[in-house]
Amino acid sequence: MRWLDVEFPHDAPISLVSFSLGDSTTGSVRGTSLALDLHTSLTLRNSSLKSIRGLTLRVEAQDLTPNGKASVTVPSLNAAPGENFPVRVDLELLRPFNTPRNGGALVQVTLDGVLFDDLSFYGPDKLHSRRSLTVYELEARRDRRYFQRLIEQGNTAKLREEMNFGLPELRSPQLGLELLHDPRSAARNERPVSVAIVSFPDAPVQMLNGAATIDKNEVRGPEVDLRNRSEKTVQNIETGWILHDENGRGFMAGLLPAHIQIRPVQQARVHENGVLRFSRASGSPILVDGVTAFISNVEFEDGNWWIPSRTDISNSALDASLKRTLVTSPEQQRLTEIYRRRGLTALTTELKKFVK
Amino acid sequence: MNSRRSGGHPRVETLALFARGDLAWLERRDVTRHVRHCAECLHELGEFRAVVEELRRGASAGLPPAVESAGEWSRIEREMTGNINVGVAAGRCIEKVGVHRLRGWRGPLVIAGLSVVFIAGWFLNMPHRDTAQILSAFHSAWRGAQTRNGTIVQTTATGIAVRTQGAMLTLLHPGATDVTVSVSGTASVGARYVDDETGQVTITNVYGQ
Repeated sequence: MRWLDVEFPHDAPISLVSFSLGDSTTGSVRGTSLALDLHTSLTLRNSSLKSIRGLTLRVEAQDLTPNGKASVTVPSLNAAPGENFPVRVDLELLRPFNTPRNGGALVQVTLDGVLFDDLSFYGPDKLHSRRSLTVYELEARRDRRYFQRLIEQGNTAKLREEMNFGLPELRSPQLGLELLHDPRSAARNERPVSVAIVSFPDAPVQMLNGAATIDKNEVRGPEVDLRNRSEKTVQNIETGWILHDENGRGFMAGLLPAHIQIRPVQQARVHENGVLRFSRASGSPILVDGVTAFISNVEFEDGNWWIPSRTDISNSALDASLKRTLVTSPEQQRLTEIYRRRGLTALTTELKKFVK
Repeated sequence: MNSRRSGGHPRVETLALFARGDLAWLERRDVTRHVRHCAECLHELGEFRAVVEELRRGASAGLPPAVESAGEWSRIEREMTGNINVGVAAGRCIEKVGVHRLRGWRGPLVIAGLSVVFIAGWFLNMPHRDTAQILSAFHSAWRGAQTRNGTIVQTTATGIAVRTQGAMLTLLHPGATDVTVSVSGTASVGARYVDDETGQVTITNVYGQ
């Protein structure tokens, strides 16, 4: 039996140059299951005529978790035509011995999407990677411009502050998460709460009000009412959600995407089914006491996008750690790592690579 | 304690089992008391613990050849299935034994008595770590059984996972120190980190539907 298959369509803009299983790839018996640790390093080539800015690989173990799948996304790429670049896939499979086998590889890796520098997209997009890759790229451009400006102005004090140097730890605390689709509803100690709203003045969509149900460390059925205050039709919207524990401490919970058409001036309601159960990274439950929501990004029918500016976020009524969480895009995380490890010169060089 | 040398010290093998956390409760208590006052045994215990730690590190870096190959899976599976079949067959052979003698109130009484003996024996003899693991497995199985479609997406100590009826696919983030996890919709959990090897920001997601 093969462990891993990597298959891309014949017209895909990337091709597989090589893949290797790392030395730490192991298998072991755990109870009545077999645990397999796979550490795979793929070398891919940009076989298109455009620069690649990001990609998403779909990872499935069809005979093992038929209702579940996974993905590995690498945003903030800068792979020129013909250039090779690495992607790592590290996973663990826990496979009960009585699981029927389908004869294929245990793990299948396929392509869900590739985003190019002109924001065009290739791929089946079954995991909605077009939307997430586009938002990552727009945030990356916003943040590169911001850091470039700080360097040009010689504002190294601000740059250090942004890169979290010499400051107390401002990161938002880590979360543990579990998502359930539980049929039981309103059967226990649930209580409805209204959702506090963070407004960005330039957002094309206004959040009017919101509600959710809370039961200890669970949040059920969050919903918000929205109004389109732009002159264009909205077709996709992502709302950001923040939890507050019993001590008033805020945790960035995540984003709820919604495919919903809202014409200019119209109102609409976005509702999510399901149960979100939260804990701290240590595993102890977070007693949810309140919920805050904000507009994270908007896609219009004409293909344009809106994301909050850094000024929107810094002027918002959020505490410092949540502002930092919101403003820390994948690109900022990458650039911070370059600055920390290799210094200002390396950061400047890296930023210049993206200037056309 | 039945595992003492003539000088009143625990045996070397008892210390080795203690270092691994594999002693029963009573013996564990005796050894704990002894090493508090015996520098010689404490030193020996320290050496055992160092060896155990080294073995653990070695185990995480590699695997004995016997289970390294995927081809061995079938053998292991056959062995386990065979063992289960033997157990089932043995159960069928003895299921009628003594059935006439346990009628009325005596049957439940005997079962209750045996249960008490079993539970007491378990807690006196099984290492507490094994007991905790088994209870945790029961707890997880119960929580899993409560979900409608049996698919759960969640964060774990090493990554993010999608779990279906005992099977689990986990995307790991090895070596990453600064990992941010978040929900994306009510069916997906994501983790974001900078890959130590490639320097790339990597975002992994697991989906429950």
